[in-house]
Amino acid sequence: MAFINLKSKIIQVKIVYYGPGRGGKTTNLEYIYRKFHQRINSEMVTVKTHGDRTLFFDFLPFDIGVINGYQIKIQLYTVPGQVKYNATRRLVLRGVDGIVFVADAMAVRREKNLQALKNLQENLASYKKNLHTIPWVIQYNKMDLADQGIPILDVELLERDINREFKRPAFPASAVKGTNVVATLKKIISMTVASIRKELL
Amino acid sequence: MADSSKPDPLSTALDNRLDELFREDDPAPAAPAAGKAKTSPLSELKKIVLSIDWEITPEALDSFSDQVRLLKEHYQGDKVILVFLQVLGSLGQYIKSSRSKVHPSTFTVLNSVFARLDEIVSTPKMAPAVRRKLLQAEMDAYQELRAKISQRRAAEPAAKPAAAIDTAARPPAPAGRPVTPEMLAGAVAELKEFIRAELDALRQLAKSAARRD
Repeated sequence: MAFINLKSKIIQVKIVYYGPGRGGKTTNLEYIYRKFHQRINSEMVTVKTHGDRTLFFDFLPFDIGVINGYQIKIQLYTVPGQVKYNATRRLVLRGVDGIVFVADAMAVRREKNLQALKNLQENLASYKKNLHTIPWVIQYNKMDLADQGIPILDVELLERDINREFKRPAFPASAVKGTNVVATLKKIISMTVASIRKELL
Repeated sequence: MADSSKPDPLSTALDNRLDELFREDDPAPAAPAAGKAKTSPLSELKKIVLSIDWEITPEALDSFSDQVRLLKEHYQGDKVILVFLQVLGSLGQYIKSSRSKVHPSTFTVLNSVFARLDEIVSTPKMAPAVRRKLLQAEMDAYQELRAKISQRRAAEPAAKPAAAIDTAARPPAPAGRPVTPEMLAGAVAELKEFIRAELDALRQLAKSAARRD
């Protein structure tokens, strides 16, 4: 559930970019930061601490401004994709309002996508959430690699693998080039804010 | 989940605001604002340290060595920083040579050494005594790590006598001579000597830096 301060009329929305390691989650945030940092007037931060557990994630907060009397603050997070960082992923998912699942379109990463999706479902379950109720969208990243002759999974196959059960909005994308990075972001923000609003009413 | 397909005043206002914020009419991404991290001579090394912590790749380790070398040239006149870089370089070499067998404390030490170095570099007016104190603390942690690594390596052949016998019973390795206990002992001694020499060199550098400050 989003952090909502009814007195000061602030809604804080947490969106997490999730997916297999090296799939392009951070590249999404880097593109958004690089392209719009002056307009969103924010800094991208990599949070990292060591101690009895490892935390490592990227964090990009920004304000959308006042919409219908509410100031809406968005927080974008990425999680580390490597298997060993599951504790961090679960921790970052705490209080999540919306998710962008960044799948890697490279043919060799097909299995990794499925593992990451399963891992997402497991971690959401620990917060009593699931992919049927939470707002989420899918991004099929690295589509541009086809131009370099690298074997890429076609969108139909990716849809069958990942989205057959859920029928969520999905975007073929290239985070490196910025293709559909913004479309993905706008969609998840719209869906998440609409969902929060529905919960409020 | 909310049905976002029906337009309403809020979603229309939100969509308009998002269109305005994320308008993609610029031909190319603008350069990030010049911040502290971007202007620091360590910014590149910082990225590499973070990426090594995330995933150890040969590319990251090569970049790490290159950056340490470049920074050594950049800070030739600063003995304290040179000692820090020497320690980072040694840790990088150790990670590269050991990969999956790296002692788990290595990354804690690597991150700590880098954090102190970053602190020193970003605080040009830091008192010499404080610099020395920070260096000494990191040197102690580094030496402790080296001791742990030596202990672990020394314990490995002793802990596997059965494996040694088993190896001797097999045909010689295709590369040439079979590995004998004497050869192993020699290699361990050589490694210890190498570590001792490296620590001596670092101590000399630290002392020299302390005298200079």
